[in-house]
Amino acid sequence: MNRNFILKKDHLQPLLRKLSKTHRLVAPVRNDFGDTLFTEITRLDSAVIDLQNQPQSSLKSFFFPQQETLCSYIVDKKLNKGKMEYSFHARLPENAPTVFFGVRSCDMFAVMYTDMIFLHQHERDIYYEQRRDSSIFISIGCNRPFANCFCNATRSGPFLDGGFDLQLTDLGDRWFVETGRPRGVRLTEEWPGFFTPVSEDDKRKQFQAELEARGLFRKLVHVDLAVKLLAESEPPERIIEELSRRCQDCGGCAYICPTCTCFNISDLALNEDSGERIRSWDACTFSGFTLMAGNHNPVNAASERIRKRFLHKLRHDVEKHGRPSCVGCGRCVEMCFGGVDIVRFIDMLTAAGENGLQGEK
Amino acid sequence: MMRNYNSRQTAKPGKKPVPLFADRNAYLPLRAIIKDIVEENELVKTFAVVFEDEIYNTNFTYLPGQFLMLSMPHCGEAPISFSSSPSRPGSFSLTIRKAGKLTSAVHELQPGDMIGVRGPYGKPFPFEEMRRHDLLFVAGGIGMAPLRSVIEFCLDYRADYGDIKVLYGCKTPADFCFRQDLEKWAGEGLITTRFTVDAACEEWNGCVGLVTDLLDDVTISAGSVKALVCGPGVMIRFVAERLLRSGLPAGDIITTLERHMKCGIGVCGHCHYDSRMICTDGPVFTVSQLPDLESL
Ligand SMILES: Cc1cc2nc3c(=O)[nH]c(=O)nc-3n(C[C@H](O)[C@H](O)[C@H](O)COP(=O)(O)OP(=O)(O)OC[C@H]3O[C@@H](n4cnc5c(N)ncnc54)[C@H](O)[C@@H]3O)c2cc1C
Ligand code: SF4
Ligand code: FES
Repeated sequence: MNRNFILKKDHLQPLLRKLSKTHRLVAPVRNDFGDTLFTEITRLDSAVIDLQNQPQSSLKSFFFPQQETLCSYIVDKKLNKGKMEYSFHARLPENAPTVFFGVRSCDMFAVMYTDMIFLHQHERDIYYEQRRDSSIFISIGCNRPFANCFCNATRSGPFLDGGFDLQLTDLGDRWFVETGRPRGVRLTEEWPGFFTPVSEDDKRKQFQAELEARGLFRKLVHVDLAVKLLAESEPPERIIEELSRRCQDCGGCAYICPTCTCFNISDLALNEDSGERIRSWDACTFSGFTLMAGNHNPVNAASERIRKRFLHKLRHDVEKHGRPSCVGCGRCVEMCFGGVDIVRFIDMLTAAGENGLQGEK
Repeated sequence: MMRNYNSRQTAKPGKKPVPLFADRNAYLPLRAIIKDIVEENELVKTFAVVFEDEIYNTNFTYLPGQFLMLSMPHCGEAPISFSSSPSRPGSFSLTIRKAGKLTSAVHELQPGDMIGVRGPYGKPFPFEEMRRHDLLFVAGGIGMAPLRSVIEFCLDYRADYGDIKVLYGCKTPADFCFRQDLEKWAGEGLITTRFTVDAACEEWNGCVGLVTDLLDDVTISAGSVKALVCGPGVMIRFVAERLLRSGLPAGDIITTLERHMKCGIGVCGHCHYDSRMICTDGPVFTVSQLPDLESL
């Protein structure tokens, strides 16, 4: 049952302090360089929690780190009469109960997507699961979308209907609190002093804030049209080729993207007899991503490399999961210095689509 | 540490075997031991493998067309098909061509040495649909490895299938694998075989030319035959095109595809092919499931 409460703004810090006694606390923190990143807060008093700017990073790395050791291995050539012994020892991450505070709707939605990828496909990914298991998400709806945001077009914001434990709306001197998942409900029950009843006026104001936010997007991105065009026909080769040629092979778009989950697995030898098996982020735009033995590559990097990235988000995931996997956070727009971001692709595609894609090849 | 085991499985056509793994960890390889090594030719060896832990030898099964991820120290993992049949349990075989770092390291192994394996992964050949049909196998080079598994499996349920014909092409006579097995089965009248090499040479008095040429002598009666094609991408393409021209429906031409693979379980993204993942949606596909033959 969804219930609503009011949390006074000056009660937020004390609530976070209480929660941080039993949980690790992660929130968008502005660092000394002026960057706002999701950061584990060890000292709540001195940390600058920044709710004014879009966090540059998403939550992805908390559940699926840029690099992690899956297992270590040991080789012993002498132990057993000269026969090679080979053993593996799992390195599971610890399961640390964590409160993620200040999560924007797009990033919250992205967690639901990565849950599906890592937990609800063929095998459960125990590494992701360990990290993800005891998380509490306190998200914030966006009254004022940021410059590159288009989550209205991807239907993953600016406010969500579910997925969060608690969703906050800024009503000036107070937070309007919606409960979502059971952990959120439990939280309000455990700390009843912080969560006071809502008035009809609060409800009206919350509704108003949500409505106004939808009118404040500065970018108009035709995601639905792009999805429709891609469902009907192939994207013009001209667009794929132009964007592929402009791609500089840096992988930045995939790294920054909250829903890009491709990875590599490789062995790191520590010495002759032991090493670690490492999983690290990868990007389908890298020229070696599909390379096979004998230098055979089924994907021509020069002219094709961006095809998978955009088709995966806007066609394949629509076929598989019923919706595109871009959550409209706009991070890749900021990130890519070659201008090979998803908004550029959608703009080019829909512009070409006005005359019908078939005509173009 | 307590280990969780899946319950006992048996290889049955139509029911896809699921991977076994320890401690709910899909990425942790199990220890296995090389029992026996057969040198097929200069570049290819077949390894008979057993699990170190007896319980896995009892519980492990797979179906032809499936593969596993093979670990070698400092080399990571490589996807390798089963070349043996699950109808002969106790051990399984991997037939491996020296192609690079990992596969070269495998070739250095001796009986008694240990490897890591996890699997089985992927969709097997569609045995339910293949039953009561003639089977036409067309293999190129190392592509014979997964097909050998199918042939041996079908021989163990011989009555379920009609005529079994094997067409096998390699670059040179030295490149053939399992030739003795194939000739033995042919000698027993269980199958018929035709071999060809790309170019004429002294030690070869058989057929010369591409494996597609062998198809000229085969009458294809659409509806009663299933073709199983495995080999390099271009070979699959030419054989498939040839079979389509002789009237075989695309749904009756079955092949297995190769891609770079890292996880084997549909998450890492490396094996993408159109909207599918070769590791979980394949590697076995019918030609009707492929968007085009050019991109193989
Ligand atoms: C489903 C499947 C079944 C296979 N079955 C067999 C088999 O039964 N026998 C056999 O000899 N070979 C088989 N292969 C090919 C085998 O996996 C590659 O030859 C092997 O990965 C090459 O690794 P390497 O380290 O020796 O080569 P390198 O060229 O040194 O490898 C470099 C990297 O490329 C990747 N890679 C290279 N080639 C391939 C490839 N063809 N497929 C996937 N990844 C590749 C490896 O992961 C590695 O990271 C199969 C491939 C697939 C996809
Ligand atoms: S594709 Fe770009 S805008 Fe879409 S979710 Fe990824 S980083 Fe955000
Ligand atoms: S090998 Fe990782 S998705 Fe197929």
